[in-house]
Amino acid sequence: MESPTIFWGVIGWMVVWGVLGSILLRQRYLARDLDTSNANFVGAMSGAALGPVGVGLLWATTPKLSGRIIVGFGILAVVLIAAAFSFADPDNVCVSNGSFVASQISNGLIIGIIYGFMALGLTLIFSILGVVSFAHGEFYMIGGMLVYYITAVWLPGVNPLVGVMGACLVAFILGAAFERAMLTPMYKGKVDRPVEYGILATFGLAFTLQYFVQAIHGATPVKAQRFIDFPRIRWPEGADPLWIRTSRGNLTLFDTISISNPRFIAAITCILVLLALLYLLHRTWTGKALRAVSQDRDAAAIAGIDPNRMNMLAFALGGMIAALAGALLVQAFSWLPQVGAIPAMRSFVIVVLGGLGSLPGAFVGGILVGLVEAAGTGCVPDAQKAASYIPAYGMIVLTLTLLLRPTGLFGRRFASGTHGQF
Amino acid sequence: MTRRFGWLAATAAAGTLAFTAGAQAQDCPIKIGALAPLSAPGTVVGGEAMRDAMLIAEEDINAAGGVLGCDIDVVIGDSEGLPERATAVMERLITQDGVVAVGGGYHSSVGVASKDVANAREIPVVFAETWNDTITGDKQKYIFRIAPLSSWTSNIIWEFALTVPGVEKVAILTENTDYGIPASQETAKGLNENGVESVIFSVDIGTQDYAGIVERIKAEDPNMIITLVTGEAAFNFTQQAADAGIGPLDIPFQTGQDALESGAYWTNVPDGQYAFVQRIGVPESQFTEKGKAFAAVYKERTGKSDVESYAMEAYDSIAILAQAINEAGTTEGSAIVTALENISHDGTLGRIYFDYGLKKDPSEDGKGDEWWHQWPDPAITMIQYQEEGQSSTSAAIVYPDAYKTADPVFVNE
Repeated sequence: MESPTIFWGVIGWMVVWGVLGSILLRQRYLARDLDTSNANFVGAMSGAALGPVGVGLLWATTPKLSGRIIVGFGILAVVLIAAAFSFADPDNVCVSNGSFVASQISNGLIIGIIYGFMALGLTLIFSILGVVSFAHGEFYMIGGMLVYYITAVWLPGVNPLVGVMGACLVAFILGAAFERAMLTPMYKGKVDRPVEYGILATFGLAFTLQYFVQAIHGATPVKAQRFIDFPRIRWPEGADPLWIRTSRGNLTLFDTISISNPRFIAAITCILVLLALLYLLHRTWTGKALRAVSQDRDAAAIAGIDPNRMNMLAFALGGMIAALAGALLVQAFSWLPQVGAIPAMRSFVIVVLGGLGSLPGAFVGGILVGLVEAAGTGCVPDAQKAASYIPAYGMIVLTLTLLLRPTGLFGRRFASGTHGQF
Repeated sequence: MTRRFGWLAATAAAGTLAFTAGAQAQDCPIKIGALAPLSAPGTVVGGEAMRDAMLIAEEDINAAGGVLGCDIDVVIGDSEGLPERATAVMERLITQDGVVAVGGGYHSSVGVASKDVANAREIPVVFAETWNDTITGDKQKYIFRIAPLSSWTSNIIWEFALTVPGVEKVAILTENTDYGIPASQETAKGLNENGVESVIFSVDIGTQDYAGIVERIKAEDPNMIITLVTGEAAFNFTQQAADAGIGPLDIPFQTGQDALESGAYWTNVPDGQYAFVQRIGVPESQFTEKGKAFAAVYKERTGKSDVESYAMEAYDSIAILAQAINEAGTTEGSAIVTALENISHDGTLGRIYFDYGLKKDPSEDGKGDEWWHQWPDPAITMIQYQEEGQSSTSAAIVYPDAYKTADPVFVNE
């Protein structure tokens, strides 16, 4: 970095005014007997983005602190950091190479969509059962392992879709069976500490699945072949188009953005399944029943919904979502019985960042973590350190968010400790 | 097979003689510890190969009469590739399992962390595949090594890189461990001293997603990529680089050493043709009789088409300890060290011996501390997968000239 004082000076200024804004705005809203749930967060963002001007403006007008204000100040703060970075390190590849920046943003978005998708499953389970499933990474692992075995060992040459569907089906059945067999004592009053019991039971499932697969398969890494190869696109006819160029494993847009085939397929599938999931939750009786149980279990039961059945469905669906993420990524990453550990950890971070029990929060949190990781990997000036800190980038965002908004980005302030709401 | 057991029978007979001549009575079986990474984030592929090899060594030694009149029992300890786990496992092997010596060891960080425990408890260790120079450089009485020094392997890497046509800039991906960091720095130093620019990217052991790093490497526009990462992480990086157009089919590319397990390599890196891989040990055609015999049993036992160098090192680490215990006539640590310092062991890798130690300090010959208890003769070669699906033992040896079987194919030419 050529002029670190510029960059760190701006960061210092933002931190000081962020802290001041957070404290002052909360006191102002308290004094006026207004809703303070977003005061810390918005105060910090306004201070960081516009310094005394932003804090003063909000102090004077005390507007309702809506999502638009939060997003607006947040984007301003990010723009300010980016501008300071550009002035401080003009030769950095993140500043001088637009094609690289575009590629990093697309990489961050794509992996963020996949992160968010996996975290959705965890959120779904937490919302309905009030349990953080520690077996989420193992469902992810068996999803990929099953696709490998179905497409490469048991039925070589079969359409990969068969493998993916098979993995989802097995994960769904496994999740449903486990919930029936092991988690029902939680809500039938058979155990003193139901939440702790649930956590320990899922821990047990995680160990069982991981070591069962290791005993059966061993620890040799495997990988499924690419589900499809990109076709050679020639449009207009006979010409190599400028806007899109493909090879078997890669897609290049506008000669700038490079996307690998397995990640592209995984991200598109995640978006399609997410849309289907939203349809299920908002347009079908079953989905509405799931949402009703997440909001008020007793009231849902009075309305004729069987909460126990919804518990089973939620756990099975959550496990299936993780397995689907694994099934899609086994063509991108080498697969081992322990492969689920890192994605599971990241899912926990995303779920807390987005707000426990919030489906939009999980998805937005995933994309945010993906983008922050891409920015960190691409822009930290010391190449030797940039990639070493990948696990830390998400944790930094999480820590800052929880400091300012303990409920996470989309979490509800009074969401129950036993059951969240989405 | 007869020759394979010949030396074992001889050393077993010598041990039995010493035992019957009045050496102190032993508790049977004699336990020898064996470190290997058998769980992630360690390199499980390498760990399983080492474990299989060390168990074959146990069978061979027992079939030839054992040690000091006893069978040996190789007690496997899973290091997980983690230093904190390694110290705990070493402590457990010594204090609970009662091992009298320890072999094996794959990750340098495991060797660096666990050697102090063994040395403090006066238990001899022969490290098989831990390269970090400080493992022997600390000049500890009970610590020996038959793997090459990291600085030696780095020399081969940068010397080979200098032969790549038109090389001006090299990207080095390394794991941030006791193996990767010094190896990358020594490689970069060698390149820079010869006018070749280098840029180092370091990652956590076990990293899966390299998309951001691959883009950053692409932006650096290197003429060659060197991978100093172990395990499936190297598979992930190599294939993701290939997907992005900077893989072994696109530019000269040295992948991680675990590519020697060619079955796993081709499954995980289908676009890995023309990758270069560093290999310890001579080509199979130049194996010793004992190396050939071991290779045959190992292939039959594991179903693999090739023998990884770390499997041979693991086998030798147990066999050399067995011979040293026999020659010492006791399981007492100091006596085993004396026997090791004076040993001449015909192993799968060649004749193994140690020039320097308590008997003679490396400085007397103007050598650095890292030569302490260090086998000086491991062969270090660079191979290239010139055909898709090739096994590592049939791959072309392209460097150095002394072992060369074919010219390298440079895809950028």
